[in-house]
Amino acid sequence: MFKKLLVANRGEIAIRIIRSAQELGIRTVAIYEETDKTAMHIMKSDEAVCIGSGPRKDYLDIDRIVQAAKAVGADAVHPGYGFLAENPLFSKRCTDNGLLFVGPPPQVISDMGSKVIARKVMTEAGIPVIPGSGVLPDGQDGEKEALEFARRHGFPIMIKAVAGGGGRGIRVANDTAELVQGLRLARSEARMAFGDERIYLEKGLKNPRHVEVQVLADGHGNVVHLGTRNCSIQRRHQKMIEIAPATLPSLVEERICEDAVRAARATGYVNAGTVEFLVDSEDQYYFLEVNTRIQVEHTVTEMVTGVDIVREQLRIAAGEGLSFGQDEVKVRGHAIELRINAEDPKNGFIPNPGHIRIYQSPGGHGVRLDGCIYQGYEIPRYYDSMLVKLTVYGFTWHEAVDRLRRALDGFNIVGVKTTIPFYKQIVQEPDFVHQKFDTSYIDTHPELLDYREEVPEFDRLARLIAEINAYGLNPYAERS
Amino acid sequence: MPDRQRVTAKMSVREILAFLRETPGYFLTNNERDVSQSDFKCRILPRTTLRVAPYRDDTGYFAFEVTGGASVHVDLMNRQINPFEKLRLVKQRMPQTLVQTVCRGRNLFGYRPYPDNVLRMTVRLFARYVDVWRVYDFLNHVPNLEVVGREVQKAGKLLMPCVCFNTGVGHTDEYYVAKVGEILDTFGEEIIVGIKNHSAVGSPRRIASLVAAITSRYPELILAYHGHNTDANDLGRLVAAVENGVKIVEVADHGYGGMYSQAPALSLIQTLNDYGYKAPGLKVQPIVDASDLLRRERRHYERFETPFRGFDPTVKRHKLTGGAASIAFEQAQSLGLLERIHQIFSELMDVNREMGNIWSVTPGSQILWSTAVSNVIHGRYENPSDDLKNLLLGRYGPFPFYEPQQWIYEKVLEHGRRDGKKWYQILADEAGIQPLPDVDLEAKRKELEESLRRPASDEELCLYVQFPKDALDYFRFEDTFGKAWLLPPDVWYRRGGFRDGETIRIPDEEGKTHQIDVVSTHRKADEVETSLLVDFHFQTYSVPLNHPKR
Repeated sequence: MFKKLLVANRGEIAIRIIRSAQELGIRTVAIYEETDKTAMHIMKSDEAVCIGSGPRKDYLDIDRIVQAAKAVGADAVHPGYGFLAENPLFSKRCTDNGLLFVGPPPQVISDMGSKVIARKVMTEAGIPVIPGSGVLPDGQDGEKEALEFARRHGFPIMIKAVAGGGGRGIRVANDTAELVQGLRLARSEARMAFGDERIYLEKGLKNPRHVEVQVLADGHGNVVHLGTRNCSIQRRHQKMIEIAPATLPSLVEERICEDAVRAARATGYVNAGTVEFLVDSEDQYYFLEVNTRIQVEHTVTEMVTGVDIVREQLRIAAGEGLSFGQDEVKVRGHAIELRINAEDPKNGFIPNPGHIRIYQSPGGHGVRLDGCIYQGYEIPRYYDSMLVKLTVYGFTWHEAVDRLRRALDGFNIVGVKTTIPFYKQIVQEPDFVHQKFDTSYIDTHPELLDYREEVPEFDRLARLIAEINAYGLNPYAERS
Repeated sequence: MPDRQRVTAKMSVREILAFLRETPGYFLTNNERDVSQSDFKCRILPRTTLRVAPYRDDTGYFAFEVTGGASVHVDLMNRQINPFEKLRLVKQRMPQTLVQTVCRGRNLFGYRPYPDNVLRMTVRLFARYVDVWRVYDFLNHVPNLEVVGREVQKAGKLLMPCVCFNTGVGHTDEYYVAKVGEILDTFGEEIIVGIKNHSAVGSPRRIASLVAAITSRYPELILAYHGHNTDANDLGRLVAAVENGVKIVEVADHGYGGMYSQAPALSLIQTLNDYGYKAPGLKVQPIVDASDLLRRERRHYERFETPFRGFDPTVKRHKLTGGAASIAFEQAQSLGLLERIHQIFSELMDVNREMGNIWSVTPGSQILWSTAVSNVIHGRYENPSDDLKNLLLGRYGPFPFYEPQQWIYEKVLEHGRRDGKKWYQILADEAGIQPLPDVDLEAKRKELEESLRRPASDEELCLYVQFPKDALDYFRFEDTFGKAWLLPPDVWYRRGGFRDGETIRIPDEEGKTHQIDVVSTHRKADEVETSLLVDFHFQTYSVPLNHPKR
């Protein structure tokens, strides 16, 4: 096992990685930008290095990070998720500089990063793939090809960036006009977002479920899956709530997991990854993409299997074999994870950075928190708005929902608007409670935004006490 | 089986009346509403009421009067609690005891008549919490009780129409017996009739005669008696009332019942015990315990007690109702007329007599008092109020015994008229009770919701149509500060601010204690910054001192 790990990330995932590393006796190094110097991951690591003035650019600077890793004597780098996690160049540069990269080899990242190549690999491996086009040529030719695709498969059609992923770079076209306009816009967005304007088409499924399978592969040819997750509850293709297991019919569950393992083998996968599928109303599933990183929602899988995925990632990167076989993986109970963000749901979920004046969190049986904030923390406006990930476990689905509701009530966050009131609406919404949801859930339940902002009772009374103190009498008791 | 005989809130009206008829002895009603209104300017806070509630509930009172009169308006204006929420809380803490209100007939809890649909809505909504409705009209004009009375009966609640009592010309036993008959004819026999001696007038012998006259004419009728202790003789009148057949009498806690409200419960129990009368199902120890607690609370309300303490036997002449008598001296002082208080009282006697020897109780008491003060300041009837004009025009109802003299009509009705109409023409054209058109409640709801920028409940609408400005101010206050009734009186009525290091402990609705520590106060030219630890979390609040609403 290596001795020192540089975590090339920030926020909750950096802390999550640091915890597992420290449990293995690995010394941890955090990196940070000047604009992020009060972040909690710095406090949790054994060492910390400032990599630049920020914001954001230094967390994306491969040279600086590799240089920092070498300077502190790290022998491994964990990329977390986001930032450079799925950049094959980063993986390669780490390897070239003698640093172990905790993730798949550069070629796998590169192949799976190209949605077109990924689809080709899966098709060859016999895994069902949603009907799709190749890379569309630019201009009239591309448009012609797209219209022909529409004629053959009908609408809706998904226009996707080849370099996209994680829900980004996707447009939906419901008719010819939207398709023609969407091609132009999608190309332009892809260029802006990924520096790669290539796009392709996929047949759209109506209100599918988003199901994914967690896989782990070591360097000795062992590949296992850790069951399914249902990530259907999304807002604009961004996941909001994730659930394990996906609760598919058992035969479908078995098949989809086997196909995920097959997919990993077909790509020569090593380390932790996720194979994503769309499942239609008939329980037919189609390959969507492979995420070559640890995912935000990995905690639900950890809750139902008991496996520490990050620990396995570190062991695999160190060249060790998987510490268990497929037969030892047992999925038990239900886990739900949601992302508590500093956002204003009533205002289009725009980020709401600010000063955390009060932070009280829930706990107790079956409640897991992966957070990165503390009371007094000033949330920088430059980064992800996620404050804390709440994951709950229940022996049954309803127990998990009850626990989720109880845990949400246990939060007291004052100073910034959060997504908590929105989630509180969801946990009592009948369709959610009865597990009836697909990717259209948020759009078809606009009433979820119909809640009142609640200021804690005693904060409001404290404000009144401050008024009585200021005036030397109670102005509201003296009216005549 | 219940552990003792008592009326409970689970009984129907019929069961309550049967129980009262069949059970020998007398019953007590604790009138905290009147104690608060008459002795503490309506400032007793729900926090105090709720603290003492378990003892009062255990006592075995017939009823507990905690709402109605001026209290609804003051709840909104000074105590900053929704009157409905107060009732909900009282019902929770006193589940066994009937909750009672006093209602001014067509004037509800205000000073002027309301349209019938407002009356009906108000009774319907308050009747969810109020079991006993003590309803009166200051002119004893029974038709003025009809809409409210019928709505109370429709809601299945106990109706207690009252005859207001007074002494002097016209106030004979025959008059009052006939008035009781009119009430029975209007509402039937499933009611309790109240005698309302708000001005604490008449000797015990006079009350004995009155009660005996009514009970001999209507032996099956259940009578209740409401009096005041303004002249220190309430106890005597209460004993006389019970001796002659009154079943329910109103009392106060000795821990804070004062001079202008009701006599203490325990004093009455001890006296009547010696006379051989028992109060079935009543426990004495909770009365003692309640008063021990109230004595400690009372110091927080000292500022609202009249500084002019002492009984006022001159009430026999000026006849001001309890609450009005307590503040008469302070009002005179604020007008620079304290030295001339007896001149005002003399004038008040004259005005009483000239206005037909009617009953000095809200809203009549305010009309009579303000007329007397105005007469002293400006000359007799030189500056009459609109309310006085309405009284002369019979807008509240007819004068029961005789009408004012013509010269008063002339001075009052012709005052300020630009049309040159003579008083008799005005009387001919404009006199009598005016039917009020129903309020468009849905339009009012829309208006309220636009002001609040949120949906309004029926209860909020009900308060808004009665007290538009003060209700709206209150709703905004509640939206900002929440349940301010949780604050104890020493915080709510604090003068001079809080000390650094002071700890304020506040129990919440569920009984959990919260702690607010005052860390520091930083006073600047135009704002004050107060830093607090709220449940051990640091908060700093800046309060601008030039806030336009202050």
